[in-house]
Amino acid sequence: MKLIKKVQVKNRLGLHTRPATVIVQLLQNSKSDVSFTCRRETVNARSLLSILMLAARQNSKITITIEGQDDDVSQTMNNLVNAFEMNFGE
Amino acid sequence: MGDDVKEMKIRGVPISGGVAIGKPYFFTLSESHFPEYAIREHDIDIEVSRFRKAVDLSRKDVKRLQKQLEKEGVHEAAAVLETHLQMLQDTLLTTDVEAGIRQGLKNAESVFCTVVQRCEKKFMSLPDLFFRERVKDVKDVARRVLSHLCATATDRMPELPQDAVVVAYELPTSEAAEASTSRVKGFLTAIGGATSHAAIVAKAKGIPCITEVDLATLEKCRDGHVVIDGGRGEIILNPTPGTLRRYRKLCREQEDYIEDLTKDKDLKAETQDGYRVMLSANVETVADTSLMHRYGSDGVGLFRSEYVLALRDQFPSEEEQYTLYRTLVERMQGLPIVMRAFDVGGDKPGRLQTTLDGDERRFGERAIRLLLQEPEIFRAQIRAMLRASRHGDVRILLPMIACPQEFQEAKALIDDVYQSLKKNHEAPTKVPPIGCMIEVPSAAVLADALAEQADFFSIGTNDLVQYTLAQDRSEQSSRRYSYGHPAILRLIHVVVTAAVAKGIPVTVCGEMAADPLFTPFLVGIGVQGFSVAVPHLPVLRRRIRMLKFVDAVAVADRALQLSDEESVRSFLSSDPEG
Repeated sequence: MKLIKKVQVKNRLGLHTRPATVIVQLLQNSKSDVSFTCRRETVNARSLLSILMLAARQNSKITITIEGQDDDVSQTMNNLVNAFEMNFGE
Repeated sequence: MGDDVKEMKIRGVPISGGVAIGKPYFFTLSESHFPEYAIREHDIDIEVSRFRKAVDLSRKDVKRLQKQLEKEGVHEAAAVLETHLQMLQDTLLTTDVEAGIRQGLKNAESVFCTVVQRCEKKFMSLPDLFFRERVKDVKDVARRVLSHLCATATDRMPELPQDAVVVAYELPTSEAAEASTSRVKGFLTAIGGATSHAAIVAKAKGIPCITEVDLATLEKCRDGHVVIDGGRGEIILNPTPGTLRRYRKLCREQEDYIEDLTKDKDLKAETQDGYRVMLSANVETVADTSLMHRYGSDGVGLFRSEYVLALRDQFPSEEEQYTLYRTLVERMQGLPIVMRAFDVGGDKPGRLQTTLDGDERRFGERAIRLLLQEPEIFRAQIRAMLRASRHGDVRILLPMIACPQEFQEAKALIDDVYQSLKKNHEAPTKVPPIGCMIEVPSAAVLADALAEQADFFSIGTNDLVQYTLAQDRSEQSSRRYSYGHPAILRLIHVVVTAAVAKGIPVTVCGEMAADPLFTPFLVGIGVQGFSVAVPHLPVLRRRIRMLKFVDAVAVADRALQLSDEESVRSFLSSDPEG
C-alpha cells in the first residue's frame, strides 16, 4: 500500500536537529519506505542528514509518502502526522 | 635559534585566558589528500568491513568522549556529540557508502569523501544560517571516520606531543573536547568565534585560546617555542631565552599566587571595620561552579543563560533548560544563584538569532524586549527556572530593562507562569526574588521607581558605559571612555542611593567590579555585592579585606566631585589605602 499526505511544519525553527531526530527515531519501528518531498526535493526520511538538508522552515509544506505493508503504512503515517501536529514536543 | 630570527609579537582575538608556553603543533584537518583506487570484486567484502569498522570505532570514540567530558565536569558539547552519534548512524554515511563501494568498486575513503563533499556542498548552499552551520558537524564526523580509515593522514588529539600549542585553521568541537590540559597548552586558530562550540569547550577546560591568528606568520616560526597570553590575545614568536625565563617565572608565580589566595577562600569579604560585601561569581557553564567553590564565593551573581543557546543549534526546550538549571542549582551547594533571562538579539521578527554576535546586540529588539515579544520562549525559560528553584536558592534577573513598565510586564508574566505551575503542583513555595539589570541609562535615571518593584538591582557596567557614553563595547582598542568616567560614577551613585533608600541590595557586575582601583569607590557609595569572573575572586576578596569602610566613603565622596576620567583615575591611584 502507498499512502501520501501533506503536512505543515509548525516549529518555529523549522525541521531542525531535534525534530529531525524525533522523526528518525520514530521511523525506527517502521518497516515501510518513507520519503519527504519539500519544494520538489524528495529525500529518505530515515536519514537525519537528508532531512536537515531539506532545510524546511516554519510553514513549509511537506508531502509524506509511505509505501509498504498495509498495517505498518497506516500506523507509520498516523505517528508521523501526529508528531508534526504536536510540534515534535516543542 | 639563528641570529636572523627575531622575537616578535603577533595578536589575535582572545577567547580563553591563561598564560602558557609550548611548541606549535600544526593540526591537519584537510580531507583532500585521501587515496583513491579501484578494488577487485573479491576484495569488496573486506573493504566494506574495513569501512564498517572505521564507523564503529568512530561511534565508540564519541561515546567515550561523552563519558570523559562528564567525568571532567564539562557538560558543554554534550548535545553536539549526541548529534554526531546520530550522524554516524545515518544511512547516507553508512549503508549508502557501503552500496557505493560495492557498485563503484572503489576504496572506502574515496566513496566516503565523495558522499561527504556532496553533503557539505548542499549544506553550504542553504540560505539559513541554522542549517548551514550543520556542515561543521558533518566535517567533524567525517574527519573522525577518515582518521580511522587512514591512520596516517589526520592528527588525533590524544596522540599529540607534550606541551603542544595546537595550531589549526579551525578547531572542530570534538577535538577541543578530546584535548587534555596536561598535554595541550593552548589553541591558536585562524577562525572561530568566542561562542563557537570549540571555544566554549576550551574555556570550560581552562585551555588558553586565541583566534584570528595569522597562521602564515606562525608557519615561519614553527620550530621554536611560543608564548601565549590568552587573556590579552598575544603570541610571542621566537622568544629569546630571557623572554622564556620571564614567562616561565610568570606562569609559576601565577600558580603560586592563586594557590596562596585560595587559602583565603573561607574568609569573608569584609572590610576591616566590618562592612560585609557579597562576593559572587559570573558563570556560564557548570564547570565554572567547581572553580568557584575552589576559590570561595558567596554564590553566583550572574548566570548568563544565553550561553545555553550558543551550545545548541536550536532553541532548547523547557525540559532541556530545566535539566541544565537544576544541575547548576545542585552544584551551588546551597549558595544562591542569580539566573539572568536570555539576553539575545533578534534582527528579524519571529526568527531568533541564537548566536551571540556582539555587533548586532547593541540596539533594537533584544533581551527583555525580545522575550516579551516572544512570550512562549520567555515562559518556557521561566517555567524551567521556577521548577529548578525548588532545588536551591534561585533568583531571577531581567536584562536590559529600560523602564518600570517593562519590569511590570515581565513580572506579571512570571506571576502568571507561577500560578499555572502551582495548579500542577510544580511550583516552588513562593516566587523567587526578581531583580532588575541596570544597564540602560533610562533605568538608572528611573532607579527610584524601579526600586519599588524590583527585589534587587544588578548594575551591568559594560553596557551602561556603552549606552551612556555612546561607545561601542566591542571596540576594545579604541576605547576613549571607560567606567572611570564621572558620568558613570554619578549614574551608579544615583542607582545605589535609590536602592539603599528602598532597602534593596545592589550588586555590580561587569568589568568595573573586578577592577581593584574602583573597589573603594563602589564600597564607599554603598554597593553590597560584587559579581566577577571566577579568577578575580581571590584578588577582590583580599582588596576588600584591606579596606576600611570609613575611608572608602571619603574616597567615594571626593571621586564624585571630579569632572573628568583622568582626574578620577589619578585620584584613585593616589589613594593611600590603594
